[in-house]
Amino acid sequence: MTKLVRIASIYPTLLGTYGDGGNVAALRHIAALHGIGVDVHEVSPGMDVPRDADIYVLGGGEDTAQVAAANALRASGALPDAVSNGAAVLAICAGYQILGHTFPDATSEASPGLGLIDVYTDRLPTRAVGELLATSSEVAGKLTGYENHGGATHLGSGVQPLAKVSEGVGNGDGTEGAISGRVIGTYLHGPALVRNPELAEKLLGWAVGRELPHIEEAQVAALREERIRFAREASEKSHR
Amino acid sequence: MAVTTSLRTRLALAAGQLAAAASRMAGRGEGQIIGGTVALKMAPDALRELAGNRVQALVSATNGKTSTTRLLATALSQQGPVASASTGANMPEGILWALSTAPFDAPAVLEVDEAWLPTVLEATQARVVLLGNLSRDQLDRMSEVAMLARTWRRMLEHNPDVIVVANADDPIVTYAAEKAKNVVWVAAGQSWTSDSSVCPECGTLLTRDEKTWSCTGCGRSRPWASWALEWNGTSGEAVSATGHRYDLSGLRLPGKFNASNATMALAVCEELGLDLRRAVELMSAVTAVSGRYAVVPAGELKVRLLLAKNPAGWSELLDIMPPAPTPVIVMINANHADGRDPSWLWDVPFERLRGRTVIASGNRRRDLAVRLLHAGVDTFVSEDPFAPGAELPASVRELDVIDCAATYTAFQAIRTANLGGKVDG
Repeated sequence: MTKLVRIASIYPTLLGTYGDGGNVAALRHIAALHGIGVDVHEVSPGMDVPRDADIYVLGGGEDTAQVAAANALRASGALPDAVSNGAAVLAICAGYQILGHTFPDATSEASPGLGLIDVYTDRLPTRAVGELLATSSEVAGKLTGYENHGGATHLGSGVQPLAKVSEGVGNGDGTEGAISGRVIGTYLHGPALVRNPELAEKLLGWAVGRELPHIEEAQVAALREERIRFAREASEKSHR
Repeated sequence: MAVTTSLRTRLALAAGQLAAAASRMAGRGEGQIIGGTVALKMAPDALRELAGNRVQALVSATNGKTSTTRLLATALSQQGPVASASTGANMPEGILWALSTAPFDAPAVLEVDEAWLPTVLEATQARVVLLGNLSRDQLDRMSEVAMLARTWRRMLEHNPDVIVVANADDPIVTYAAEKAKNVVWVAAGQSWTSDSSVCPECGTLLTRDEKTWSCTGCGRSRPWASWALEWNGTSGEAVSATGHRYDLSGLRLPGKFNASNATMALAVCEELGLDLRRAVELMSAVTAVSGRYAVVPAGELKVRLLLAKNPAGWSELLDIMPPAPTPVIVMINANHADGRDPSWLWDVPFERLRGRTVIASGNRRRDLAVRLLHAGVDTFVSEDPFAPGAELPASVRELDVIDCAATYTAFQAIRTANLGGKVDG
């Protein structure tokens, strides 16, 4: 085994409300399938954010926790430094919003984010809750997950959407998530990397400097098939 | 405790009874919710009128409210009949029904949904309110935890006369109760800390040791507790402020969390002036609560029914299951009443089930199978382990009774198939 991939789980106590801890578990599991060793570092509020991790993972969270996490990350400055040195970031929901210029706080006032990617978030007219299905040029298979958010995310010219929405809401304009270099933001819970192992392979591939072939596990394939079919059928029913 | 009910309320209740009877005849269930809904629509003050001044206690928590309510109502029965919803109906409609179907002068002990607690306290003016614990639960439709705590805090500001019995070991509950005028703190334990890792007031990471918690940011810490549960790993003792010890080893409801529920119930009993030794005796006779812990036939198997709805509840259930290699059945549904998003499976420490086979079932069995795959737990996926001739490992069939832990709708399906309208078999 060569070098260990260093994974930093950022403020899971603040940003981990929706089972997003499963993304770190999935990175560990999928890395093992590929014979890659990982070193997971859980960063709690008050601790220094490491500057030398290969992959940073941020989950979703409640409004007040989101503001606290954004403030701590802005004060630290570690994340933008790490990204400019080639680190990868996976940020889910509230974590995704934090990466942008601004996001709405508990009173819908714009609160400052990290400005790491060229997006800003305001409010959707109604909260998006349900299965989310999207197509991305980054991975071969469909992206599947569950969304639960009130944010409408607007992409600037410096960033690409991660995917195009087939079912669900995503960013609110038919696109879902954002990708800029090795930084990925998305509204997919589920958790995202459990339901979309190809995304995990992409992040791990960046970290080890080679593209990883996709390894399919039967249980995961069965889950993906079920959720994709469910999202399509639910949408057919609602359009009828 | 005479209650005068207005003509309007009496008419409304009669209409509710009709609706409930119709619902039962149509085979739609026990009719409490529809009955209560009809009555409340016709007479919005019905709850206030029926409550009169007889409501002794309200019980609310994310987990354990049905069991705690049952334990407390059973203890209170030492003084005569008690009004209490027997099936865990805990919103105003179900509560109205519980009050209207019991003798009008019977003292009441009521389980209340966390979000409805302020409304129900306002209407009933209960003497005591028991606040057990708060943790994440069905986030697709429920409030976030901190928001609920703030709501409870405001509720206690508006109702300064109520006696609050609160779990001092839960920092979120402490935050909700700390401004109340009359608080009896109970060190009832907290096994799930993931939703109270930071201070609800200032956001600082809380400092914890085995027994207490504190915040270096704003200086708050676990309040001094009048009552405490002392747990030795298999059974517990409740210790009162005066140092009296109450042996809880006779409790038939399993696990530390039920000993914790009993300790909180006992603290309420003291406030109500009950005989506490007698209260423990009565609580010890409770064997099942609305199907929880009941042993029932299911297909060709006999199962002990266990219910959990959220990560904290699941975490507790994993501890009362027999040790590996005994197989267990886990059923995960994601219907409306379960919450549509089972992402929370990733917050449950299923790693503790290693060394045995888990039968994964329910309409989200595939999510569970992947969770167990990552946890390194041997899994056997079965669409319906109770179907005639269902394929199952031999180790499952060899057991006299197998634990079946399920989410709400999966649990209810087995319970109602076996127990019908009866509350407990």
